[in-house]
Amino acid sequence: MAYMTDRRPWTFYVLAAVFALFVVFLYGPMACIYILSFQGPNGGLTFPLNGTSLYWFGALFHQQRTGDIAGAFARSIPLAIIVLTLTVVFSLAAGLAFRRRFIGAGLIFYIAIASLIVPGLVLSVGTGLGFQLLDIPPRWYSSALGAHLSWTLPFGLLIMFAVFSRLNRSYEEAARDLGATTWQTLRHVVIPIVLPGIIGVALFGFTLSYDEFPRSWLTVGPYNTLPLEIWAMTTNITSPALYALGTVTTAISFVVIVVALTSIALIQSQRTRRRIARERAMQAGS
Amino acid sequence: MKLAVPAKAVPYLEVAPLAIVLLLFFVIPMAMVFVASFFDYNMTGIIKTFTLHNYIDLLTTPTTFDLYLETVKFALIVWAVTLVLGFFVAYFLAFHVRNPLIAIGLLLLCTVPFWTSNIIRMISWIPLLGKYGVFNRALLALGIVDKPVQWLLFSDFAVIVAYVHLFTLFMIVPIFNSMARIDKSLVEAAVDGGANRFRVMTEVIIPLSKTGITLGSIFVITLVMGDFFVVKIMSGGRSASVVMSVFEDVNLLFYPPAAASAVVLLIIVTLIVSFILRVVDVRKELTG
Amino acid sequence: MRKPGEVQLVNCTKRFGPTVAVDNIDLKIPAGAYCCLLGPSGCGKTTILRMIAGHETPTSGEVLIDGENVVGLPPVRRGTAMMFQDYALFPHLSCIDNVAFSLKMSGVGKAERRKRAGEVLARVQMAAFADRVPAQLSGGQKQRIALARALITNPRVLLLDEPLSALDEFLRLQMRGELRRMQRDLGITFIHVTHTQPEAIALADLVVVMDHGHIEQAASAQDVYDKPRTAYVARFIGGQNVLAGRVAGVNDGVIVLDLPQRGQIEFPARGEAPTAGSTVYIAVRRDRIHLTKKSAAGKVNAVSGKVSTIEYQGTWVKVTLQQEGGEDFVVNLPDSEFFSDPVNSGDAVWAYWNAADVHRLVGGAGRTDRPYASGQN
Repeated sequence: MAYMTDRRPWTFYVLAAVFALFVVFLYGPMACIYILSFQGPNGGLTFPLNGTSLYWFGALFHQQRTGDIAGAFARSIPLAIIVLTLTVVFSLAAGLAFRRRFIGAGLIFYIAIASLIVPGLVLSVGTGLGFQLLDIPPRWYSSALGAHLSWTLPFGLLIMFAVFSRLNRSYEEAARDLGATTWQTLRHVVIPIVLPGIIGVALFGFTLSYDEFPRSWLTVGPYNTLPLEIWAMTTNITSPALYALGTVTTAISFVVIVVALTSIALIQSQRTRRRIARERAMQAGS
Repeated sequence: MKLAVPAKAVPYLEVAPLAIVLLLFFVIPMAMVFVASFFDYNMTGIIKTFTLHNYIDLLTTPTTFDLYLETVKFALIVWAVTLVLGFFVAYFLAFHVRNPLIAIGLLLLCTVPFWTSNIIRMISWIPLLGKYGVFNRALLALGIVDKPVQWLLFSDFAVIVAYVHLFTLFMIVPIFNSMARIDKSLVEAAVDGGANRFRVMTEVIIPLSKTGITLGSIFVITLVMGDFFVVKIMSGGRSASVVMSVFEDVNLLFYPPAAASAVVLLIIVTLIVSFILRVVDVRKELTG
Repeated sequence: MRKPGEVQLVNCTKRFGPTVAVDNIDLKIPAGAYCCLLGPSGCGKTTILRMIAGHETPTSGEVLIDGENVVGLPPVRRGTAMMFQDYALFPHLSCIDNVAFSLKMSGVGKAERRKRAGEVLARVQMAAFADRVPAQLSGGQKQRIALARALITNPRVLLLDEPLSALDEFLRLQMRGELRRMQRDLGITFIHVTHTQPEAIALADLVVVMDHGHIEQAASAQDVYDKPRTAYVARFIGGQNVLAGRVAGVNDGVIVLDLPQRGQIEFPARGEAPTAGSTVYIAVRRDRIHLTKKSAAGKVNAVSGKVSTIEYQGTWVKVTLQQEGGEDFVVNLPDSEFFSDPVNSGDAVWAYWNAADVHRLVGGAGRTDRPYASGQN
């Protein structure tokens, strides 16, 4: 705020320090995990590092006693991808619906918020009970999928709300004016404009599912997803293999986020480049 | 092929998939829990007869009250810490960082850890706070203490640190969002009227961030009250939470008392949330 | 005793990074004057206003209010109050609390400040709206509240940032009159930023015309309209046609210019003697020009053109001529004169005027070398 002078007030430095400490607070513990995952084969669960190695990364995938990590990965990732896809489609559709008034809109909104706030454990208990009563065995691709969706859909809906409230309706009216059908308007006008929001929903869908633990608990059936596997390992913490697992799962999350954000950036820059090229062509032609 | 769908029916079709999923995987499970809470049980499983004794047991044992006290205690402490911390971080990002792109970048920096599983982030505190952990080593090396500090880990302190670590972001994002919407000319008008920086904060910024503060508070409080694993691991088994008792009952396959406990918890959480919501119309803000 | 509210800027410059928004200006605004800062977007007028208010600090130079340098002082200690362009009314406070805000900041008790705020509200005829919130008010009503909020501090200088821009035509004219009356009643200095010339001319004792961070002319409304100093001012204020010619000679106190589009201009030298061959810019008021369909080729103070547009404006008719290879030439004819012998679009006509109505301008092309920085006024 440059209302008195252009120099920064003393509160800036204090708050900047608080912010910096906060970032250290956020990243510090994770940094320890990353470092400790390179623990030597004879090292323990805390510092100091007893030599460095990739031993524990290997242990993740090869030894039986650390659990079925590879299997858990093979379930978590496809599950997350399915959740991502369904969340995007269902949230987008529901977001479009909420632009107009319809009976039950308020009810559905509050149910979605409630689904967000309810403790995940309670929900998984209920879902597990339900499947048990109907005599359908819970599986990661059915009951767990639904449980994950009950968590990601409200998030997706809220994001779509934010995105659509900023969308200017005159774009669609202009398209309609020029002869586009509803479907064409959706495909060629609305979706390209809200694409960054859709990517955001996809991002949430993937990572929320990938990291979801309480809601998965009674709904995955006999074979664990990754967070459940991690939970099993924490209750018998015996080796730095756990830290290695932490590093690997974080790396995967990170890759997904980078891909999502880069694609948003690419879309924006592609649009800018196309616009500049068109402007140049127009200038050259005139 | 053209589908002749009447325009009025379209919103219903669009919202149907989401509504159906929520019906099947939220409404019905909650109904299950509610129904199960009235069932009887024994060592072998559920007996489908109506009984109120789950509730009676629950509400008459003193441990229930202690458990709630413990959980609410944590919820309030964590709420206070995350509110102050989250408010000032959001304030810094919204008002002291001049370039809006940098502000968003710094906010993203804070959100990246969120994408790692909560369990891993929680256990990452163990090598830091333990007897032979980084903090104790540093304190010993600097000579501030002459033996390792015990209460850093497996204590209330550790639980609160872990909660703050995991949940402050849920305060920062809504508050930052509210603050970013405050028209800068309002701040100037306040200065023009004689307000110093502190009074600008109390007279203009805090009132106009009320929505963000409310949303953040709801998130943090419900997350803490709904947690079971942070408290279990970080307190070393010394503390318990309400959901933890649900977890333990379910592990023993005692569904009915677990369900009753869950229902009571939900009622209490709903009361807390509606109390908070009397302050602001959340739906209007969100769909705004 | 000196009236309070004299504002002076001395060697004032404001830079935003590499861009110079205000370039070394000197300006003196007399106490109790209504001053309008006039210019297009980006010319620096709002920056000057904000430097006087204390919301910007000059990169160099001084801002004096009643002889005291106020640079570095917060707004409240300068005796200034600002009315913001979008009013900046606090949405979470009622109107009366908005108006009482500055009293609250200076520690006045609740009952006392509500009473005083009520009085000021009555003065702007908004007493009935005391407990409403800004969201319930129309644009004109918000403006009165913003005015009340600024006036309650008894400022010696009131600063208005494009106060009438957001209003519709009718309200704008009404509020214009009210602002003028209020300024006369209060006797304090008003500094009003606008980009609308008729508004500036109607309101101001002192019009400051700005371009790219420089003051082109600071004079009374009449001088700025009738005797613009530069071609920029002549074009911006409107009401004038600008022509450029090369000096053919100065004979018997009359300067003769050769026009590039054929023809000559003659006008009284008034003591000046520009060198032969140099380029001189002149202005002729649009309402001092007549049209004829007969050829005036060879006559001085006459140009030819083709009628491109005709706009009826009630008491006068605006006829725009396209000159061969020159600027548009505009003639404002009284309606009786136009309708006695109307011209049509496409007609070839001659425009002519008296030598006495030619006004010489200082400088010509304007500062087109420096582009406007975006978002700055």
